[in-house]
Amino acid sequence: MKFRLAAVLAFCAVWGGSAQVRRGGPSLSDVALAKAEGPPLRTELRQTLDKYCAGCHNARVKTSATAGGVVLNDVDLAAVAKDPVLWEKVVRKLRTGAMPPAGMPRPEPAAHAALVTYLETTLDQEAAAHPNPGRSGPHRLNRAEYANAVRDLLALDVDTATLLPPDDSADGFDNIADVLGASPALLERYLSAATKISALAVGSPSITAEQETYRIRGDASQTGQNEELPAGTRGGLLARHLFPLDGEYTFKVKLWMTNLGSVRGLEDTHQLEISVDGERVLLAPVGSEKEYTDAVKNATDVVNLLEARLQARVFVKAGERPVGVAFLAKTATLGDTRLQNFRRSTLIATDHRGVPHVESVTISGPFNPKGPGDTASRRAVFTCPPSPSGLRRDDRACARTIVSRLARRAYRRPVTDADLAPLMKFYDDGRREQGFERGVEAALRGILVSPKFLLRVERPPSPRLRRASAGDELSPISDIDLASRLSFFLWSSIPDDELIDLASRGQLSRPPVLDAQVKRMLRDPRSSALVDNFAAQWLHARNLRNATPDKGDFPDFDDNLRQAFERELKLFVASIIREDRNVLDLMTADYTFVNERLAQHYGIPNVYGPQFRRVRLADDARKGLLGKGAVLLVTSHADRTSPVVRGKWILDNLLGAPPPAPPAVVPPLDDSAAAATLTMRQRMEKHRENPVCASCHKVMDPIGLALENFDAIGRWRDLDGESPIDASGVLTDGTKVRGAVDLRQALLERPEVLVGTMSEKLLTYALGRGLEATDMPAVRTVVRDASRDGYRFSALVKGVVTSTPFRMRRKDKES
Amino acid sequence: MFVHKLHLSRRTVLKGVGATLALPFLDAMVPALTAQARTAAAPRKRLACIYIPHGVILDQWTPETSGADFEFKSILKPIEPFRQQVTVVTNLLRPERGIDTNHAGAPSSWLTGVPPKRTAGPDFSLGATLDQVVAQEIGQETTLPSLELATEDFTGLVGDCSPGFSCAYMNTLSWKNATTPLPMEINPRLVFERLFGGGATREARMARIKTDRSLLDFVAGDLKQLEAGIGTRDKARLEEYVDHVREIERRVQLAERRTDSLIDVPEAPVGVPESFEEHARLMFDFMAVAFEADLTRVSAFMLTRELSQRTYPNIGVTQPHHTISHHGNKPDQIEAHAKVNLYHAGLLAKFLERLQKTADGGGSLLDHSLVLYGSGMGNGNVHAADHLPTLLVGGAAGALKGNRHVVAPDRTPNGNMLLSVAEKMGVNMDSFGSSTGRVAL
Repeated sequence: MKFRLAAVLAFCAVWGGSAQVRRGGPSLSDVALAKAEGPPLRTELRQTLDKYCAGCHNARVKTSATAGGVVLNDVDLAAVAKDPVLWEKVVRKLRTGAMPPAGMPRPEPAAHAALVTYLETTLDQEAAAHPNPGRSGPHRLNRAEYANAVRDLLALDVDTATLLPPDDSADGFDNIADVLGASPALLERYLSAATKISALAVGSPSITAEQETYRIRGDASQTGQNEELPAGTRGGLLARHLFPLDGEYTFKVKLWMTNLGSVRGLEDTHQLEISVDGERVLLAPVGSEKEYTDAVKNATDVVNLLEARLQARVFVKAGERPVGVAFLAKTATLGDTRLQNFRRSTLIATDHRGVPHVESVTISGPFNPKGPGDTASRRAVFTCPPSPSGLRRDDRACARTIVSRLARRAYRRPVTDADLAPLMKFYDDGRREQGFERGVEAALRGILVSPKFLLRVERPPSPRLRRASAGDELSPISDIDLASRLSFFLWSSIPDDELIDLASRGQLSRPPVLDAQVKRMLRDPRSSALVDNFAAQWLHARNLRNATPDKGDFPDFDDNLRQAFERELKLFVASIIREDRNVLDLMTADYTFVNERLAQHYGIPNVYGPQFRRVRLADDARKGLLGKGAVLLVTSHADRTSPVVRGKWILDNLLGAPPPAPPAVVPPLDDSAAAATLTMRQRMEKHRENPVCASCHKVMDPIGLALENFDAIGRWRDLDGESPIDASGVLTDGTKVRGAVDLRQALLERPEVLVGTMSEKLLTYALGRGLEATDMPAVRTVVRDASRDGYRFSALVKGVVTSTPFRMRRKDKES
Repeated sequence: MFVHKLHLSRRTVLKGVGATLALPFLDAMVPALTAQARTAAAPRKRLACIYIPHGVILDQWTPETSGADFEFKSILKPIEPFRQQVTVVTNLLRPERGIDTNHAGAPSSWLTGVPPKRTAGPDFSLGATLDQVVAQEIGQETTLPSLELATEDFTGLVGDCSPGFSCAYMNTLSWKNATTPLPMEINPRLVFERLFGGGATREARMARIKTDRSLLDFVAGDLKQLEAGIGTRDKARLEEYVDHVREIERRVQLAERRTDSLIDVPEAPVGVPESFEEHARLMFDFMAVAFEADLTRVSAFMLTRELSQRTYPNIGVTQPHHTISHHGNKPDQIEAHAKVNLYHAGLLAKFLERLQKTADGGGSLLDHSLVLYGSGMGNGNVHAADHLPTLLVGGAAGALKGNRHVVAPDRTPNGNMLLSVAEKMGVNMDSFGSSTGRVAL
């Protein structure tokens, strides 16, 4: 036990300083120093290593300092290039100021700088001399990419969550090739998804009536206007429903019920409206004195009565159309019986008074279908008309045009006869049995299950490139593969015609062309995928939907706020990307996006209505990611803040210095009633009395504690319970911080660390694989080049798409 | 003017499925000459667990005498035709450990024999349920290890459905383990698709299978094309896909044989039927068909849910079920509750009849099944945890005798009964839930 404890302590010490934010560290301009490389320098560096590192990192000492293989007493500084795994570890510790650990003597800044610069330069020079692109292999489209590909190919928005199983994720993202495996069950789902999607795209007569239910989360308040619905309405939802055929559809609305099964809010009369495409299809009354008293006698009778009343059956033309369900707004009062001092209107599950809420709308159909209609997806598919003569031969020419075009987009390259032959056979069979359109549908189904669509398999380079790189172990990827890498990185989707055109003419990799294409792609609305897929995973925003603060502790919290947090964060990140700002603005920007609900939460005056708008932030503490409700909520527990989780979030996602997982022996924080009277800080200090806990927590806690003025739902507070908040702390390197603003400034002392972490995340996402030591020179190049361009977002992207791992491939034994 | 209540959608939605479904549907699903129907040896056992909420009017349920040839009381009258395969078990108790777990404890303890952890949060904890334990043993060879069905959708509720207890305890009967509740499917359309794949008609399904086969050939061909000219490393990754394609081909062949042997399959339901009776019968039909076609051997069905506010105007019960279950000993309310109990038993009887009429490996499906039917409450008026109404029907392939009223010692943990049922299904354990022994079934 004793040994184990010591090991844990030492293990944590390895990481112990990683959060330090120290002034005066080396900067990238120190690279110049390394020019003076040579034996005299190495002797000096050897002395630095011996004096400050090799005491613990010594082969004779058996501690956790050496357990990870970091032995520095007998290393050859002339052979740094041969062991990037070891030396990248050393570089990371030095760069983030994590080593030597707090309390141990540290080298003078100049000696520190000389060492880290020498190591980086040596490693970078080695990478330049012997580029190593790392692993790459077949990459299956994940669910989001599949959905976007279908959207771009067929102008069809499908809900892939119901069609395909969720993907595994690794290294923080769900587009990691290694874990995007396959299984028979998955392939079966692809088969049925392809059948469904190809039928929807062409408006196939094989489509039969189905039912879909759109729900509102049970913790949503419906006392105000929904942003997506017109002014003058209250609550409700907007469903973007895909009506597969021209035909009749039924709409059935269910209202929110109490736990005892009575509809809430019947004491007054309200009007419920259903609209399709903005046109009213039903307006029906809900509630009255009679219904209220009837419900007291027999709630179920009234529920049945209302369900019968709140439905409509109408003819709807095919296509995706907004279906709105909401009440007409009345006065803003909640009812006549109470004033409630919290915001969530559905807090009390047994409360039958107030205003009625919509629970769900169920859309069924088509009934009596009248044909496929004229939809965006049909226009996207049927780009040429079948022959008016009805001759099969002429139809086939048109079909071949359609199938070639779709296959070219879906397979992301020019298609060959070998690609088309089996697809045209599907067409021919379908055409023979059921006509032209069914033939096209059959061919489309084939495209959608083809491994050429579902898998990104990169081809060996062309003979020209092969010759150019003869003898080397690697070669540049082809332009065609580059087009896909770009589009899956920036759009989470397939390349468009322009990219494929350029790639097939061998133009895409020319630097000016590539530059212009990257700029174009970032301007394109499809680049919102970077927000939804890259940023939302990087910043853990996807965890918002599962964040459920305790309703007793936070009776104001409702789904409206949860959604506002998500909107704000996404709009904020999008503004950095769209306006091509310095990525450090993510930390410092003096603006954000709020609607009335969020503005109230943040204490920003004079913001009215459900629409989001950009506002200047007067409150310094709110600026940047550290003041965003989304970040503060996903780093809290249901009933309290978690400085540990917040500290870890910053270490992981901003500093690139993840702390180790807690050892199994660590006791949890005392949540007992006795502890409840202590402040969070006091409870954590108690926790840190245990040395096992202290070694790691002294790294994480001060960072998280600096954010204690934000409660578990991101609201500003000056008190924790009855005690004043103390948001001060001393970081392990001695930097004193007090509050969010100080912390942010301390982090910004090392911009290259922040930008380096972002670049690591971006490169991981762009490659779809976890990074290795040999990728770190590429990351440093991205940061270095971007620093010359004011750390603009596009500069980071440009750095990634011109990096060795993005552009090169190791040769594989050819078959 | 847009409101067309019920009839259009019902006609279209339930064409051939609901009321007109009845026997043709089932007969349709009989795999007349499949291997399974021909095999007489080693019959496959099936387990169905069917839950009713709010307890029953016990003096109209519990037989007066113990042992064989007992007299069926009024609520159980519909079950009498199956007497030779009926075992009534009396005096079971679900554990509560000091607190009234009321409407959350009743369904959650029913198949676990343990009380739910008191929490309204996401840290709910219970235990593996009988159906899942049995499915682990006998459900692994079928397409679906188990089937979980219900009729009432309360998924919109969050927090505590019963004071202090998470909705998770009431939304499902089935728990894979202490922390993994399995969602119960309410929409018959989705059940249909899980069982039979897409395609609304038999023709559509056969066409679909044909298409799937040609698509699989195509996928295999395209994989071969992809492999040509790429390196050995990437090729190894693609081989994985080739294997999966082969596996699906095998499954498609099975599906083809199955579908081909189904004579006249009605259209798939659009969604949830308007009428409860049609909904419930559809779910029973799916259970029977799934057993028959050996798509699954284990199912759990929550006929209605605890706190169900359903009224039954078709049998003259216009007050919500939950309300009348708290009858306060008023005769009219007691009568209404008993009517609902009887009505539910009638729905069960139709299911049993279907199982009885279905040939299965040299006997009937009922001969090889064990149907556990009951509630997690005795006297619903007081949320009573004891005197749980419990009915076992079916031969369990010779393991269950039938024609017996087993009177266990008063307040016998229901875990004892669950342990013995598991044994009858071929799963031997030392204990289950809070069991203290066994019930001699």
